[in-house]
Amino acid sequence: MGIYFLSLGLLLLGALLSIVVSEKWKIKVCTISSLLSTGLLLLPALAVLFTGMEIGQLVYMSPVVGYVDFRIDLLSAFFLVVISVMSFLGVLYANGYMKPYLGKGMNISSHCFFLMMLIASMIMVVTVQSAIFFLIVWEIMSLSSFFLVIFEGEKKEVLNAGIKYLVYMHLSMIFIMAAFVMLDAHSGSLRFASFAPHVQPGSLYANIVFMLAFTGFGIKAGFVPFHNWLPDAHPAAPSHVSGIMSGVMIKTGIYGILRFLLFIGTPSKLISYIVLAVAVVSALYGVLYAITQHDIKRLLAYHSIENIGIIGIGIGIGMLGLAYNNHIVAVFGFVGAILHVLNHSIFKELLFFAAGSAYLKTHTRNIELMGGLIKKMPYTALLFIIGSVAICGIPPFNGFVSEFLIYAGMIQGVPSSSMSLFIVLILSIAALAMVGTMAMLCFTKASGIMFLGNPRGVELENVTEAPRVMIAPMTILAFLAFFIGMFPQYFIMIAMVPATMYTDGLRGVGPLASVYNMTGELSYYFFMFFILLAVLLGVRKLIGIGKNETKHVTWGCGYDRANNHMQYTASSYADLFISTLRPLFKRVSHIKKPKDLFPEEAYYEQEIEDIEEAYIVKPLISWDEKFLTKFERIQNGNIQQYILFGLIFLILAIIGMVYFGG
Amino acid sequence: MAINLFNILILLFAPFLMIGVIKKTKAFWAGRKGVSIWQPLWDFVRLMKKGAVISETTSWVFRYTPVIGLGAVIFAAMFVPLATGRAIINLPFAFVIFSYVLGLGKFFSLISALDTGSSFEGMGASREACFSTIVEPAFFIALASIAALTQNYSFESIKLILQNAGGYGYIIIALAAVTLFIMLLIEGCRVPVDDPTTHLELTMIHEVMILDNSGIDLGLITWSAGIKMFIFEALVANLLIPLSWVWWQSALAFLAIIFILAVIIGIVESSMARFRMTHVFEFIFLMSITALLILALVTYRIYGGG
Repeated sequence: MGIYFLSLGLLLLGALLSIVVSEKWKIKVCTISSLLSTGLLLLPALAVLFTGMEIGQLVYMSPVVGYVDFRIDLLSAFFLVVISVMSFLGVLYANGYMKPYLGKGMNISSHCFFLMMLIASMIMVVTVQSAIFFLIVWEIMSLSSFFLVIFEGEKKEVLNAGIKYLVYMHLSMIFIMAAFVMLDAHSGSLRFASFAPHVQPGSLYANIVFMLAFTGFGIKAGFVPFHNWLPDAHPAAPSHVSGIMSGVMIKTGIYGILRFLLFIGTPSKLISYIVLAVAVVSALYGVLYAITQHDIKRLLAYHSIENIGIIGIGIGIGMLGLAYNNHIVAVFGFVGAILHVLNHSIFKELLFFAAGSAYLKTHTRNIELMGGLIKKMPYTALLFIIGSVAICGIPPFNGFVSEFLIYAGMIQGVPSSSMSLFIVLILSIAALAMVGTMAMLCFTKASGIMFLGNPRGVELENVTEAPRVMIAPMTILAFLAFFIGMFPQYFIMIAMVPATMYTDGLRGVGPLASVYNMTGELSYYFFMFFILLAVLLGVRKLIGIGKNETKHVTWGCGYDRANNHMQYTASSYADLFISTLRPLFKRVSHIKKPKDLFPEEAYYEQEIEDIEEAYIVKPLISWDEKFLTKFERIQNGNIQQYILFGLIFLILAIIGMVYFGG
Repeated sequence: MAINLFNILILLFAPFLMIGVIKKTKAFWAGRKGVSIWQPLWDFVRLMKKGAVISETTSWVFRYTPVIGLGAVIFAAMFVPLATGRAIINLPFAFVIFSYVLGLGKFFSLISALDTGSSFEGMGASREACFSTIVEPAFFIALASIAALTQNYSFESIKLILQNAGGYGYIIIALAAVTLFIMLLIEGCRVPVDDPTTHLELTMIHEVMILDNSGIDLGLITWSAGIKMFIFEALVANLLIPLSWVWWQSALAFLAIIFILAVIIGIVESSMARFRMTHVFEFIFLMSITALLILALVTYRIYGGG
């Protein structure tokens, strides 16, 4: 545990140092402290994962908080690995990404400070096991990420997105607090360890506690219908922050849900179905809206919702497995979900970083204006394509492994004793398949339009490859994605460790051993696949020797004066799909028609609004405003009246005390 | 080993003959003599001897896609029970691996179409991507239902329907055959979804994606399209061939069914025109309906009727 505190201390030291050193050194200081703390933190985390023995320490913090239980158990250890490694790669990437912002009077100090604080608080969130201090570090996490989002706060939309984010996070806080209060009131202690014994599994009380926590943590994770902050906050934040937030921070929401699942014991069928339903809807909704987006970072943000949905499907399947006492299904669901946490953080960071590099060089996030970047940014393009393939769940990359486990869980759960479970599972399988193909539609669009073809608006002359310090973290991530895809068995073993907390340790080992063997076999076949590809490529090259290849413009059906604006665009690529599912979208068109004899200006613009925001959030807010304006009469700014209110309250309170207290 | 080699040889070369049979059938219905059924193979050989014209716009994506596509299709075929009735790689949940491996080829063919920066090829890519969002869920519903019915998670489950479903088995097999046949028409880009011989770019799906491929690359692409079609025919064939047959019985029946299916495809292509693009969706949704019917029947078989 000493190493753990040392690494936290290093992060805080880095945060403080980055304030005082000169601007050029700020990010470097952060990188070094993050590297050291990651290295240190991996020791206890991996030790816990491999030995299966949790470690912990009680620390006296203050009279208010009392003794705080710092504990690295199996679940924490897994999340610690994800958080520390992925955050470090984000900070490394920031070295290149922040360069253009240096020396422009931006507030780099606060950015570095809050970046370190965010990492430190995330580490504490997954290791603190006392309610009050958990809420404190949770709040630090939300606040520091808020300050990171509003880095370019002089832009109006950035500030708006930041405030929206802050509001959502505090909404989440209320629910989490309520859940903790309920647990605390029941067990009489603030320590996590004392919660579980006092909860009757499957009782109404357990359901309410879990649903409160699921709502609260779900807002952080971005489950539909609480996802609305994501597509706004991610484009507003700098790319490394988007990467860390989307890849790592929203996973703390998943952590919270998994943690509360431990408190309530065997979940009831009702909440398991709710979780699964919410997750399926999130996955479908996220990818549907991702297809409609042309802002690459908004698109990726919607994909985070989708992937959180996939993780949620895994958790839902796991819970159903527990509820129906089918441990095979439970193991597969939880292992799939936990592994997908790691996988998603890898490819989502990779994609955000690659998109950030493209943004840095082209100064636009609109993919309609990009095109042909592969010629000037070959590495970034390759890495983006790898990330795209991985996020679509295509073998031999990591996304496939976790999705495969979730499928396997669902298919094995199918011959169950309950008809409703059977139908729900089959339909979830179909939904997951649909999510996969829609992700493919979306990412062929993103990678094809951004990097391939001819430039559509941004000229390529000034575009150069991203600096090495940005390519390096992306390369590491791409390699990780490939490595997990090629050797799934080892990572399944690791993800199995935290999953044993839910399935009584050994009971799940039998089926998983078979999966371990099977995926081992699969990794062997993937090798064969590469040999096959190499052979085919060799034969192809051999046949090609001596054949002449002519270069020509793209075939335009006899027309060879095609220009770049005649290319297929992102909108046209997605249009067939969107128009097929028209009722699910709200199209907003901005039209200025040509007028008069000599029309000067005309345009047509179409965007697609989030229906949840348009039909639920906005009406709620306007209703809220209407309701609250009724109180304007009371809030009139007259100090005397405010004093009167205080007096009235005191009198009422005294009367109440006398009346009820006696 | 020898049996696997036999399977692979059939997998690699039967598609040419299959396409030849389809062409012959169409020629017969049109009252023509038609080309020899070996013609697709000669076409392939001819393409292999040719040079190529490559667009200036393209990158390595365009260059390597034909090979990746062919590799993915061959790799995917390894998970499917082929001529002798056994899959070369027999793993549980093979249909998941199978579709995702095919997805790899599809992913690259889609971005390869966008790589040319053409005003047409994106159109085909868009259509192909859009269709598969409807096709895949239906395929998964059908296969998962059958897996549940037979309690067998490998691809062999589709051969075990009769043993597990009794009288309902025939209906389920018929429905599954229809589902897979529609999928075959979609993935193989045949009439009424797509017309491989069309001459108008605006109406093409698969053909328009490969407008810029020529020479060896084009040969590889047509070959992998043929293999892909062959795999789906193999799935239909497997529905009808029991697991208990020895390899030569199975192989004979298999080849006969492939032949009959090729003739049926030829008849379908001769007797109906392709649908208007908007109606194609209705046709694809037919596949979802048959898949849901399989689900309903399987549910009834497992839980209903006492």
